[in-house]
Amino acid sequence: MRFRAPGEQEAQERAWAVVRRAYAEREPVAWPRRHARPLAAAALVAAVAAAALSPPGRSVVHSLREAVGVQEAEPALFSLPTRGDLLVTSRKGLWLVHRDGSKRLLGHYGDATFSPHGLFIAATRANQLVALDPKGNVRWTLARPAPRDPVWTGTRTDTRITYVSGGRLRMVAGDGTGDHVIARRTLPPSDVASIRHRAGQSAVLAAGRVVFRGTGRFDQVVRSPDGRWLLVTWPTADQWVFVRPGTPRRIVGASRISVQFGGFPHVQGWCCAG
Amino acid sequence: MAGSGRDERAWVRRAQAGSASDFEALFRAHWAPAYRAAYLVVRDAAAAEDIAQEGFLAAIRALDRFDRRRPFGPWLHRIVVNRAIDWARARSLRPEAEAVDVSAPERTEPDDELLAELGRLSPEHRAVIVLRYLLEYTPGEIAELLELPRGTVNSRLRRGLDTLKERL
Repeated sequence: MRFRAPGEQEAQERAWAVVRRAYAEREPVAWPRRHARPLAAAALVAAVAAAALSPPGRSVVHSLREAVGVQEAEPALFSLPTRGDLLVTSRKGLWLVHRDGSKRLLGHYGDATFSPHGLFIAATRANQLVALDPKGNVRWTLARPAPRDPVWTGTRTDTRITYVSGGRLRMVAGDGTGDHVIARRTLPPSDVASIRHRAGQSAVLAAGRVVFRGTGRFDQVVRSPDGRWLLVTWPTADQWVFVRPGTPRRIVGASRISVQFGGFPHVQGWCCAG
Repeated sequence: MAGSGRDERAWVRRAQAGSASDFEALFRAHWAPAYRAAYLVVRDAAAAEDIAQEGFLAAIRALDRFDRRRPFGPWLHRIVVNRAIDWARARSLRPEAEAVDVSAPERTEPDDELLAELGRLSPEHRAVIVLRYLLEYTPGEIAELLELPRGTVNSRLRRGLDTLKERL
């Protein structure tokens, strides 16, 4: 079968740009695998020492040892612990983070939301609501003053995006048509888990009990699409911490988040794709 | 085109040691078959690009553990085709029929009928046909790649081809 897929060459060059960077960041192992375990342990000790010496690390390393466990703290975000893609914003713009840790900068946008099945994204910029595909291609735009807080909900056959503009709650269909005002007030924030700040400590509460605590401030807690994990963002420690409440509880930390996103990012959503 | 077995083993060995140019040779040799296979299974260029790209990223993560005595292509294709099947299954369970896509319909090539019909097969049938007729694996190799009994591969091939024949 002689066959060429659409956009093959362009796709190859885009993919090569990503793959080349990933290869450049990899550290080759040039010795037998039997040495890997002790050396990995030594690297972890070095990483912890480095974290302890850095200004943010010094203040929280003790709490991190207690909360996360040294063995589980990754020196960077290598992957997500469960299915789904994350949508986050940082100073550089809007990022889509895949489960394997690869990420794509979609452009300069503010707030964002996944479509119900994670195949599209609605995002805001100065005076526009924009629908994007996961490559960052714009599918449609809607000019409205300073839109914010988009939420995309719906069924297989009918989806709507609600958002706030001009102090009013508005709704538009998933294809960008039929925009109208639905209320003069905004939606209450949702739900699930909460953060408590007290005496320089933060704690995450889920179902009425503390599932994770640490020194400094937690910024957000976001539930995974399968409902089993919580992502706690921890700017004080420059960490993302993935917590799976229940028994056995699992906690996985990822460090140096700011470096990876050009500033500490704000999570906009964690959705079902992948 | 993929290099000879000897070339490929040399690329893998030097890529493991940190040679970016050898890793690029490996990438260039295997990108097109991986992307085409993913595209034929998922029928979505953007998804195929992501899937093939993720296949290479997975390859980078596992590069140090890769056994150089084994060919690189089947290993990569196993990752890519399995991901493509997962994606196509998930898509068929959650079709976003709201069609946010308001762009013009894609142009249909005159000889696209076969590919269109291929796209109507189930992901499992599509995958074995792509592996057999695009990537030219034997049924035995497909069975190993997809971790299926050889009889299952043969029956999927036969049913898939029969269905295509009926529809065309």
